[in-house]
Amino acid sequence: MPFPVQAKPAVGIVFDSDLGNGVDAALALALLYGLEGKGEARLVSNSTTWSNLSSAAFADVLARFYSGPPPPAGARGFQRPLPPIGMAENSNLRGDTSVLDAVLEKQTADGLPVYPHGIHKLNDTADPAVLIRNALTAQYDANCVVVLAGPATNLVKVMDLDGALDLIRHKVKLLVMAAGAYPDGSAEFRVKTDVAAAKRLLAEWPTPMVAVGSEVGDGLPFPGSSIEEDFAWAPAHPIVDAYRAFEPMPYDAAVPSMAAVLYAVRPDGYFKLSAPGTIGVQEDGSTRFTPAADGRHRYLAIDPAQKEKVVRTYAELASAKPVPRQFGRGPNQKKNDEPPEPVKKP
Amino acid sequence: MTITRKALHRRSFLRGMGAAVGLPFLDAMVPAMAIARAAKPPLRMVFAYVPNGIIMEQWNPGYEGRLGELPRILKAMEPHRDDILMLGNLTHNSGRALLDGAGDHGRCSGSYLTGIQVKKTTVDIRAGVSCDQIVARHVADQARFPSLEVGMEDARQAGDCDSGYSCAYTNNLAWKSETQPLPPILNPRALFERLFGNGAILSPETRARQADYRRSILDFVGEDTRQLEATLGPTDRRKLDEYLSSIREVERQIERAEKTNAQFDPHMEKPYGVPADFAEHFKLMTDMITIAFQADLTRVVTFLMTREGTSRPYRELGIADGHHPCTHHQGKPELIEKVTQINTYHATQMAAWVAKLKSIREGEGRLLDNMMLVYGAGLSDGNRHLHEDLPTMLIGNGGGTVKTGRRIVYRRETPMCNLHLAMMERMGVHMEHFGDATGQLRFADLA
Repeated sequence: MPFPVQAKPAVGIVFDSDLGNGVDAALALALLYGLEGKGEARLVSNSTTWSNLSSAAFADVLARFYSGPPPPAGARGFQRPLPPIGMAENSNLRGDTSVLDAVLEKQTADGLPVYPHGIHKLNDTADPAVLIRNALTAQYDANCVVVLAGPATNLVKVMDLDGALDLIRHKVKLLVMAAGAYPDGSAEFRVKTDVAAAKRLLAEWPTPMVAVGSEVGDGLPFPGSSIEEDFAWAPAHPIVDAYRAFEPMPYDAAVPSMAAVLYAVRPDGYFKLSAPGTIGVQEDGSTRFTPAADGRHRYLAIDPAQKEKVVRTYAELASAKPVPRQFGRGPNQKKNDEPPEPVKKP
Repeated sequence: MTITRKALHRRSFLRGMGAAVGLPFLDAMVPAMAIARAAKPPLRMVFAYVPNGIIMEQWNPGYEGRLGELPRILKAMEPHRDDILMLGNLTHNSGRALLDGAGDHGRCSGSYLTGIQVKKTTVDIRAGVSCDQIVARHVADQARFPSLEVGMEDARQAGDCDSGYSCAYTNNLAWKSETQPLPPILNPRALFERLFGNGAILSPETRARQADYRRSILDFVGEDTRQLEATLGPTDRRKLDEYLSSIREVERQIERAEKTNAQFDPHMEKPYGVPADFAEHFKLMTDMITIAFQADLTRVVTFLMTREGTSRPYRELGIADGHHPCTHHQGKPELIEKVTQINTYHATQMAAWVAKLKSIREGEGRLLDNMMLVYGAGLSDGNRHLHEDLPTMLIGNGGGTVKTGRRIVYRRETPMCNLHLAMMERMGVHMEHFGDATGQLRFADLA
């Protein structure tokens, strides 16, 4: 009788972003949590290049929000702690933003934070490079996708860790980078912020890479109407507050990072992909794609036939209600993970 | 300070039939010409390990910086807080499951000093060379024993001790090679004979036969002792007398334990000569470790207080439940209280040892000043088997290289191996990489 083969878990997503700089990365995270709730992906590492505790705190707010309410007091069993948030210590990005302020400073009538978080000091956060490296060690081979929705600052630091290139080669099947413009375009913010890191990442990252340019973000904007309608189920929603704070409503937001997440988890049926080639970065931060049969890079392109479906998917998944945190023994845990009953001795 | 024309060698021994008793650091060992250079006593490295995690709410102070009032578990450590550096957020990622499923106890002790994700097996064990052994190789020619491995519970090396992990992982801290753990010495008599004997470890039966007519080891080295004393100044004579008295006291304690055991049921679980009382056993073993340091018999010690995953009951505390089952308390207050009591009991024994290490003069300071004693565990929350924010304190100022009296909380996920790298560096071993370290832990220069 054949033994049942245990399937690999859903793809693990390492998400590194400039969270708080606009709403692109926040919406991408919301989309990712939506996919996680459906069991299609696992967010295994979440880090920010924005060297500001508010950015990490916003990430923690989202982690708590999408984890659902905590278990009732006195409940028995296991509950894993909330995952650490990685934060670059000295990147080129560090200021407060209207988005961060709107979420973190929002208070109840009693003066309490509407969105509590646990990030108050640097040591409440993790070094992003270590966090990402550790997350990769826990993944099955080729069962992880790295989504970069910010400057490459953190990822090149991962590459510098002892043994990390080999680890990346084994664990990561794809890097999806929401930065630049393709096939060529002017300097884009995320590349321009750390040109040296972008150059190194494109030259040395050891896996295939798909770039999502600003043209995809602009061409498939997130509909502002969804904020008013699809998110209305929540009396207070951090994504809604962030969105409203970024620009005067109503507006549709450019969201290249949402495209990156959607492609990372659902690679088929939403976008077109370029032929292979090589992406180069100029000194001014502009990017240029050169076709090459043996190139490791590709870029994502809009499929006009799928535009409506993509935008609808964005809205549905990003606004999905949180799936409550697992409590008690997880479905993938072996029986002997269960704690033994205390031994009663006379 | 007494000045002699010809200095006594640091590694001198009092010898006699089948005995070799090392000497403590004496003024007579400092050559007159070297006084100006202020000869420094050697630096020692110790890892004292407790299993099954800690009730962290009662371990971590609610503040960072200068140590003040300590939480319940560490209350007994308060008199020593100026000699303690509490380290927060150190993580052993290699102790986590990382696709290997259940077995956190087996992994966390196996990886504690090796920094390696150990192979899940009960047969072809594989870990890595532990940091203590890397240092032991480096100092091997500087002391009689490159390292000492001491324990108090279970030295089984075979069988399954945790969900498919060999007992070799739970019952050892020190690994000489990837496949060769160094089992701890559990029996006080065996440790005594290792320290002061000629290398032969007697069987329990032989020991029992000899018990009636055994003389003190000090009797065998009496002639050497008298000759040495004649050459020493009054301060050194007093130091030597205190030191030899401490050895004699250890001997008496061992003999007492052996006699007590002999009166009990022969089926009792403790092996011959091992005190049934945890505190008594702890004191004996740590007294001998202390003597080993005084005599510079070794500079590297691993001390596995009880083995990872132990279900030892603590009847001394009125706790008949096993330690391990209690740690899976699932939030039940009565079980949390029991674990807290066990954690407090361990820390109280440690505090007594620290007091002893502080009381012994060495050179211009205290024995503890020339030590780095790590007291900690391979799990933080034993209920959830967490491998982050491991309970870790560094005791002693490492010969002036560790700024104690503080609590430093590092960033989350900071590798525990960073501490190992920093300690190895202080012991004279520079390594660029160890386990998953990202660099030496900084604790000398932080405010």
